Formats: sequence, structure tokens, C-alpha cells
Amino acid sequence: MKIWASEHIFNHPWETVIKAAMQKYPNPMNPSVIGVDVLDRQVDTQGRLHSHRLLSTEWGLPSIAKSISFTNMVSVDERLVYRPHPQDPEKTVLTQEALISVKGVSLSSYLEGLMANTISTNASKGREAMEWVIHRLNAEIEELAATARGSIRVPMAAAVTEK
Amino acid sequence: MNSVGEGCTDLKREYDQCFNRWFAEKFLKGDRSEDPCTEMFKKYQSCVQKAIKEKDIPIDGVEFMGPNKEKPGS
Repeated sequence: MKIWASEHIFNHPWETVIKAAMQKYPNPMNPSVIGVDVLDRQVDTQGRLHSHRLLSTEWGLPSIAKSISFTNMVSVDERLVYRPHPQDPEKTVLTQEALISVKGVSLSSYLEGLMANTISTNASKGREAMEWVIHRLNAEIEELAATARGSIRVPMAAAVTEK
Repeated sequence: MNSVGEGCTDLKREYDQCFNRWFAEKFLKGDRSEDPCTEMFKKYQSCVQKAIKEKDIPIDGVEFMGPNKEKPGS
């Protein structure tokens, strides 16, 4: 069942946001993510790219907490959809939802509430992380452009002095 | 960023660099010409799949949400 959903607008065009999403890790807001691997990737017949990725995380949980969560088989799935803003091509809309499925145990509304709070906090961190990655990618592009401008100028100056 | 398989990190980074370039310069611009990263991906993949087996990471039994797939019991 869906326990949390939200919508957020990034003031960046969709292309920028999606490149950041593909390169989200590492970032300082998610220090627990210690590995990212691509398990499968292909473009389907409709031209859509599917990437199947494994994120390795180290939460530093005590082993008893780990064994409890595995016994109760609670799983939380998150779905994030990034779309170009329908009215403004310089903006991107992120809709995010968390679905929880539990095997054999019924969750109290208190526990659901706790999880929703954690998910909401993590979502804010995630958006902050995206802004950080976008900033880094834009800075790299700026640096490349500046280098290109610099290297074009030098041969021209040399040609002038040669005369 | 590292790979789950310690020995695979270099292969992963090489592949990632290739993919990120292809993604930004070809795929996002609508260019559907052949992906230049397939050989690199194969090398990286064989390393990662081996590491996953060795570490007993259970990726097969887990259900993943597709774009139009609803979780059972929801």
C-alpha cells in the first residue's frame, strides 16, 4: 500500500536533472551508499532505456535490528518519476511515492507514520543531493568551456605577434 | 564510486565514463546509433556477476517494480 507521496519542482531542465539522476552517487548527503553497480541495461523497441542497478549501502545497523527486519519481511519500494514541467521547459517535476509491502505482519498506523517520516526526510536529502550533483555537472561544463576558450585564444595571439 | 566487487571498481569506472558520455551526447539527443560501450559492459558485468554470487547477494528472488507494475496486495 502507498504510505507516502510527494511532488517537487526542480528549477533545471529535464535533461540536466536526468543526467544528475544517473550520476547521483557519490554525494555528501548519502554517505551510506558505498557502491553502485549496473546489473543490466538495454534500450527497448520503443527507444526507452532500462537500467537495473544495485545500490550497496552500509547503514551501520546493529545485527539484531538487521535480523528483525529480515524476519518480518517488510519491503519498501520507491518510485521516482522525473518529467519536464508541462508549462516551463526550464523546470522538471519530480513525483515520488513509497509503497510498502509486508509479509504476514500487519503494520500499525504508528509504525507506518514513523516510516513515512523517515521516507520524507530521506526524500529531502535526496533532492538536496540532486541539486549538489547538478551543480557539480554544470561546473564541469563551465570549466570545459573556459578551457576551450583559453586554448583558442593562444594560437590567435601567436599569429598576431608573428606578423 | 565503488563496485560491490572490490576488483570490479576500475572496470565499473571505465564503463560508467563511456555510458555517461553516450547518454549525454547521443541518447538524450535522439541519436539511436550503436552503443559504443557494449564490450566494456560485458567485461564489467562478468566481474560483477561473479562478485554477487561470491557474496551471496540475493538479487533473483526480489521483485522489482516496473514502470506499470503494481505490487501484489496493494
